Parts: sequence; structure tokens; C-alpha cells
Amino acid sequence: MEGLIYASDKLIGAIEHDETLNQIANVATLPGLVGRSLAMPDAHQGYGFAIGGVAAADMEKGIVSAGGVGFDINCGVRLLASDLSLEDVNHKLDDLLNQLFRDIPCGAGKSGTTDLSFEQLDEVLKYGAHWAVENGYGSQEDIDHMEERGRMLNADSNAVSKRAKQRGRDQLGTLGSGNHFIEVQYVKEIFDEEAAQVFGLRLDQIVVMIHSGSRGLGHQVCTDFLEVMQESMPNYGIKVIDRQLACVPIKSKEGQSYLKAMAAAANFAFANRQMMCHWTRQAFEHVFGLRDLRLVYDVTHNIAKEETHSLGGRVLVHRKGATRAFPKHHPDIPKNYYEIGQPVLIPGSMGTCSYVLVGTERAMRETFGSTCHGAGRSMSRHAAKKDSSADQLIHDLRQKGIHVRGASKSGLTEEKPDAYKDVSAVVDVVHNAGISLKVAKMVPIGVIKG
Amino acid sequence: MKPPFEILEHPSDLGIEARGATIAEAFLNAARGLMSVIAGSSTIDSNEERLISLVALDRENLLVRWLTEILFLYDAEKFLTADAKFDMLNNTSLKATVFGQKYDPSNHELTLDIKAITYHKLMVEMHDDIWTARVFVDI
Repeated sequence: MEGLIYASDKLIGAIEHDETLNQIANVATLPGLVGRSLAMPDAHQGYGFAIGGVAAADMEKGIVSAGGVGFDINCGVRLLASDLSLEDVNHKLDDLLNQLFRDIPCGAGKSGTTDLSFEQLDEVLKYGAHWAVENGYGSQEDIDHMEERGRMLNADSNAVSKRAKQRGRDQLGTLGSGNHFIEVQYVKEIFDEEAAQVFGLRLDQIVVMIHSGSRGLGHQVCTDFLEVMQESMPNYGIKVIDRQLACVPIKSKEGQSYLKAMAAAANFAFANRQMMCHWTRQAFEHVFGLRDLRLVYDVTHNIAKEETHSLGGRVLVHRKGATRAFPKHHPDIPKNYYEIGQPVLIPGSMGTCSYVLVGTERAMRETFGSTCHGAGRSMSRHAAKKDSSADQLIHDLRQKGIHVRGASKSGLTEEKPDAYKDVSAVVDVVHNAGISLKVAKMVPIGVIKG
Repeated sequence: MKPPFEILEHPSDLGIEARGATIAEAFLNAARGLMSVIAGSSTIDSNEERLISLVALDRENLLVRWLTEILFLYDAEKFLTADAKFDMLNNTSLKATVFGQKYDPSNHELTLDIKAITYHKLMVEMHDDIWTARVFVDI
């Protein structure tokens, strides 16, 4: 099996510098894969599988690998669109950020404000965003604008270990730390007027982007199943080059159990983002007296999905740091986007820019309906902290018109813009390759970092 | 003389390289390294204890499971580990009592959450009478 990398001359240089190429090649050795082992232009070294990788497995003969999804199951992004413009918000931006920072738990070790029993947590794992809406966080319209409609139906809370539940129970409704964020942005450029109009985006419009995942629950599910897969792999005669590629047949007991637990963790993340979305709306209402923040879409970029593709038929698509990019007329996209295609949300690094793209038929033909997910790191955390102070970073961003609230100073410097690849360069590659097309570019004015 | 643990660079995450005169000491210092990533230079008292009993496939897997347990105690219970006493540690199992305290916002500063312990460049080896345990963590 071959590997295929989408990149520019500049980006391939970065990709060649770490172990990404070896990891793409290693994935190509796994049993029952279909097509090619793919890498997106933001690809960088991961654990076993590269981040920014896509691999599809035949449902009958192929494998599932927990490492092919990643530790942060359903790490994803949602975009909310307001009826406000930049000039409506600027004078009260600090009030808004302070309110968001107060209302949405973020940062290392932060617990949620919802006191869940284990029985209630099981409901979250089964119903995902539907649980959140039933409990007063948002509406049916939100559900209609989420990947999987905010709930993976094959979830089974019994497949999730007690440890994973113990880690996650206290963390529902929290942003997390690391590269998770909430950004208040404005739409700076429109590339596709028709698509922007259908998605409800216009120039100067204030939007909010939320980037977060399944927290400790998802991380533990992946950890648990990496162990299960390592232990049971020999029973199926599977050997791997890198133990982090541990995998089992999709149809095996362990494979099915993983997919059910993964779906449950994905539902936790959908509920998580739905709750933070609700509090974001409340913050806007408190500061601006309005609450109309419409959900444009919610995407996941760490997941394994059973899908039908022209190559391979029914396959399990592993997307690790890659986003689904379905075209127009696909039955799985929201009805009001049917004539345009699925929104693809690409977050940039702190203080740079983000994009909305749209999925294409070409993605369906070439990449199992997939595209990039973001910028990818180019500098280690240690290097990012060296010669940088949080105060200087906050000042520099302020000079660019970006206000920052961070839960930790070192967290801020580790996430500074230079530590990441150029998201515009990444997006240009996927646009030029035709696997997702630019619709709008947004620039942040306020950032909440965990 | 090299320190009990060091934090290693990685393109997107962090590594911990811990040392000890015994494998148990290296495992304890790896746990301390993990705590240093989570809680910086916060001083952790040894007021409470937890029991840990694990089996593993091999020595490296044991290190991952040990640190996964330390991480679990923090993430699920906000228990910070300061010290450990091993009743038994061999290539595929360990029994230990860990000592530490619950996170106290007035005394501890939490700096970074760790998602998981990985198998990247995993190593548990002895050279020149020094045990080294190396592991990378997903931030």
C-alpha cells in the first residue's frame, strides 16, 4: 500500500523533519486497509499514527486501532455566528471575555460545575448533545447542525471503564488546557459568497469558535483500549512495527467494544461543547443583551467512522487530526446546507486566523471525504517558552487588537502563534488540491485559553 | 551527577527521563517528573496514601501502567503524588503504597493537564548501575 501526502514545498520540509513520513509508511502496513495511508498538510509526528492522518479499513477484513483516533476522542470544533458586527462588540470586549472566563471552567485541573451521578454520566455517554439539549443547554436546531447530529448511535456506556468515568465525571462542561480555546473572532474575508450566505456568514460578523474534546474520559478510553489491543492482537495473528499501532479486527469482540466506547466518549465531547456553547450564549446575553448565537456547525477531528465510499465500499475511516469534508447532496449533512456541502472548521493557532471551508466531491474520491484539521505545531513547548514571557505575549497580541485571557502563563507561551505552522499555508494546500474549498477567513479579537 | 528526572523536548508534547539506583527509585522519580509537569514546583505533602497493584506485559508496559495510575489518581481524585514505597516490583508487576495529598489551591499551582502516557521512545534500562526510565506524555 502507498502513502500519499498533501503538502506544499514549504510544508513538506516540516513534515520531513520529524517522524511523520515513517508513521505514514508504518500505517500502510496494517492489515485490511483500503486505498492509501494519507497525510494532510498539517501532518506532524504523533503516537503510532501521525496527527493529520487518514486511514480507511475494510469493514469485514480490516482493523481498528485506538491510536488511529488518538487520545482526545472527538476533539473538535464548533462555530457560532452572531448578528453582531465588530463595531458592536469592540467597546465591551473585555467585559465579554471576563464573563466567558468566569462562566466556562478552563485550565489545568479545573472541574465542571455540573454535579453528575454515574447514572447521569451514562446518559451523557449514550445521548451526547441530545442529553445536553434535554437538560436545557441549547435547542433541536443545534442538534441539526452537528456532525453525527451530536450523538453516535453505537455508543455503549458499558464499554467505558469505571476509571474513564471516574476521570470524566467531574470534567463535563470544561474547556481543558493545552491547545483548547474559545475565540471571539470576526469574519475578515469571504471567498465564496454563495456558500457563506448559506452558512450564514458575512463580512465583519462576530463569530465564536470553541475547540475542545472528551477530556479525561476520552483520554482514558484510548489508554484502556491501547492496552486491550496490545494484549489481544496476538490472538488474531497481528504483529505491528510500532506497539502504538496496536490494532484488532473491526469485527472482533475487542474491536466492537472499542468502537462502542469510542462513540460514548465522542458523545461526552459533543455534550461538552454543547454546554460551553450554552454558556457562551449566556455570556453574550449578559454583556450585549442578546442571545442569538446560531450554531453554524460542529465537527470532530479525532474519530473513526463507518462510512460508504466509492473506494472500498463500506469502510471504517480513521481520522486522527483530520476533518470530515462531505460534499453537497450527501445525506449526512444538514438539510439547509444540502446544495452547498458540509462546513469544515479549521482553527488556527492563538492570534492568527481560522477558516471555514466546504467539503467536495474530490475529497470523497481521493481522501475518504477528509481534509486537514488545523495548523499543527512547529516548535516544542520548551522552545516556545524560551525567550517568551506571557506578559510580553499578551502585550504583543494586544497590539494586534487581540485580547487574551489565559488560565496559566506557561500555557499561554507554549501556545504562542510562532509555535504553530502557518494555517493559511495548510488551507491553501487543501483548497488547491480541491479536497475542501475556502469559504471564509476569520481573525480573533479575544482568546480564552485553558 | 544527573538529576533524578529531566523533562525532554518533543515537537508537540513532553518527555520525562527519570533515574535511580534501583528500578523502584527510577519509577518513583518518573512519577515525580509527571507531578512536576502537572503541578510545577509546588510542594506536595505526604498526608494521604493510596495502594497501587499492577500487572503488565513487560517492564516498559509496567512503567506506562504505573504512570497511568499516578495520572488517574490526579485526574479522578485530584491526588498529587509525592512519594512511594514499593512492596514488590519485577518485570511484570508491582505493588506500592503512594503518599501524597489532595490538590489544595492555596498551596499548589496546576500548570498543565496530561492526557495520557504514551509508548513513544519508551525505555526502562540499566547502564553502569543506574536505572533510567524514559516516557513521553500527551499534553
